[in-house]
Amino acid sequence: MAVTIATGAVKTKREGTLGYLLPALLLIAFFFIVPVLMLLMRSVLEPEVGLQNYEALLGSTTYLRVFVNTFMVAGVVTIVSIVIGYPVAWLLAIMPEKWSRIVLAIIILSMWTNLLARTYAWMVLLQRTGVINKTLMRLGLIDQPLALVNNLVGVTIGMTYIMLPFVILPLMGVIRTIDPAILRAAALCGAGKMQCFLRVLLPLSLPGIAAGALMVFVMSLGYFVTPALLGGTSNMMLAELVAQFVQSLVNWGMGGAAALVLLVVTLALYAVQLRYFNSARGK
Amino acid sequence: MKSRLALALLSTTLLFAGQAAAEDMVFTSWGGTTQDAQKTYWADPFTAEKNVAVTQDGPTDYGKIKAMVEAGNVTWDVVDVEGDYAVQAGNAGLLEKLDFSVIDKSKLDPRFVTDYSVGSFYYSFVIGCNKDAVDACPKTWADLFDPQKFPGKRTFYKWSAPGVIEAALLADGVPADKLYPLDLDRAFKKLDTIKADIVWWDSGAQSQQLLASAEAPFGSFWNGRLTALAETGVTVETSWTNNITAADSLVVPKGAKNKDAAMKFIAQATSDSAQAQFATATGYAPINLDSNTLMDAELRNSLPDMQADTQVNADMSYWAEHRDEIGTRWYAWQAK
Repeated sequence: MAVTIATGAVKTKREGTLGYLLPALLLIAFFFIVPVLMLLMRSVLEPEVGLQNYEALLGSTTYLRVFVNTFMVAGVVTIVSIVIGYPVAWLLAIMPEKWSRIVLAIIILSMWTNLLARTYAWMVLLQRTGVINKTLMRLGLIDQPLALVNNLVGVTIGMTYIMLPFVILPLMGVIRTIDPAILRAAALCGAGKMQCFLRVLLPLSLPGIAAGALMVFVMSLGYFVTPALLGGTSNMMLAELVAQFVQSLVNWGMGGAAALVLLVVTLALYAVQLRYFNSARGK
Repeated sequence: MKSRLALALLSTTLLFAGQAAAEDMVFTSWGGTTQDAQKTYWADPFTAEKNVAVTQDGPTDYGKIKAMVEAGNVTWDVVDVEGDYAVQAGNAGLLEKLDFSVIDKSKLDPRFVTDYSVGSFYYSFVIGCNKDAVDACPKTWADLFDPQKFPGKRTFYKWSAPGVIEAALLADGVPADKLYPLDLDRAFKKLDTIKADIVWWDSGAQSQQLLASAEAPFGSFWNGRLTALAETGVTVETSWTNNITAADSLVVPKGAKNKDAAMKFIAQATSDSAQAQFATATGYAPINLDSNTLMDAELRNSLPDMQADTQVNADMSYWAEHRDEIGTRWYAWQAK
C-alpha cells in the first residue's frame, strides 16, 4: 500500500527516500504483516473453512460485552487523560524553559520505567490493604477500604497514568505555537478568564487535543498488561480475550477473529486521524 | 564506553565458552518458588552429573508450544504442564513420545504416566487463610463459598483447570464420588453467589502476594505455595478438608531440538532422590513411588497424597476430554 502511494504521483521526488524506507518496510512486512495475515487466515480456516468464528464472536453476548467494555475503558481513559493532561501541557508551554525542562524530564522518565514494574506498583498502592486505603482509613476519612483495584477504577487509574505523556506531549507542542498576543487581545476586548480559555485557547489547541485523544484511544484499545493486572475478569478487554484464545484455550481461529476485529477498528480510527490531520494542515 | 561494553561482552562469551557443557537444553516451568526448587533439585544436579547445561525459561504457555511445534522451531525441550493439558496435547500430536528405555516408569505413579508424559509433582488445591487478618478461617469449601459466614474477598485460580469447578460443586453439597461428569450449570450457579467477592490469581506468586497482604485473606491455593509462604513468616492456616488433587506433568514438545538430553533430564527429575528432595523443599508430593523411604517420615506424612481422608482426585481424563468445552464456558462466565 505505502509503496504504491509513494511511487504514484510524486515518483520523481520520492525515489531516493523510498530506497531508505525499504529496509524498514521489508522488516515490517516480514515480521508483522505476514504473521498477522497468517493469523487472520486461521480465523477463516480453523477449525473449518468458513466464517463460523466471526459468527461465534459477534453472536455472543459475552464477547459483545468485551467489545463494549474495550471501547468504554478506552473512552474513559482518553477523557480522564485529556482532563488531567491539559493543565499540565498548558503549564509546560508557559513555564520558564528552566522549569519546564525538569517537569518534562519527570514525565518522560516515567515512560522509561518498566511497564510491568509500574503496574505492580499501582497494585500495591491501590489494593484494599494498600498505602492509599490504609492512609485514608487512618485519617478517618473512610471506614471500609475502597475498591480501587480489580475493577474499572483500577484500570482507569493505571492506564491513565501510562497514557498521560501521550496527551501532554502533543498538546504542549500545539499550545506553544499559540501566539500569546491572541490571548492578550482577547483580554483587551473584555473577555474574562473563562471566556479566554473556552473561546480562544481551547479552540486553538483543538488539534493537539484531537491528536492526543486519538493516540490514547487507539493505544488503549489494544492494551493488555494493565487491564489484565489491575482489572477484574468482568472488565475484560479485547486484547485479553485474544490472549486467552491464543494461550489458554489454544483456539487460534477465534483468536485470529478477535484480533482482526481489533485491527479493523484500530485502522479505521487511524484513517480518521490521518484524514483529520490532512484537513487540519489544509487549513 | 563502547569498547568497555564490547570487552565485557567478549569476556562473558569467553566465560561461557570456557564452561560450556557437552550439551544444552531448555527447561520451562511456571516460575516462582516452584521453578526455583526444580532448578536446584532437578536441573543443577543434572548439569553436574551429565554435563548438560540447562537453561530455565518460563512461564509455561500452551499457545507458545503450539506455535513452536507448527513452526518447526521448538526451543523448549522439557516443559512442566498441567496434567489435563498433557493428555490432550499428546492426543493432538503436539508432544514427543517419551523414551521409557531412558525413563524408568516402573517406579512412577502410574496414574500420571501416558505415552507422552510422566508426572512432575503432585499437588492439592487446599483452603488457605491468613490467620492474622481474620478472626475465623474457613475450613471447608462450603465455608469458602459462604460470604455471610466469612465476609471478605476470596481468591481462586483464574485459568480454566481442575480445581475451582470441583470446589464449587463440593461446596454446593455434591458428594465427592459423584463429581464426574461435572454439572457445570450447578457449578456456575454456585460460583455466581460469590462472584463479586472473588479476586483471581493467575500465578502462584500472585496467590502468595494476595494472601500475605490480606488483599484476599482466604482462598483456594496450591498447597506448596502456602508452605513456601509460611516459611517467610506469614501465619498461614491450611485446611485439607476435601483437598482437590491434580498433578503437573513433564512433556517434550514435538520436534524438540535436544530430545536425548530431554529424556535424560526427565529420568533424572523423576528419580527417587530428585523427587524426594523437591518434595521436601516445596511441600508437594513426589510422583516416584520409591521417594518415600528417602524422606523424613513426619514431613512425608504432611504432603498432599497423605491427606487422603477426604481427598478428591480431579479426573484428568475427564478434563482432557472436556478441556475446550469447559474452558470456553469458564472464560465466558468470568467475563460476564
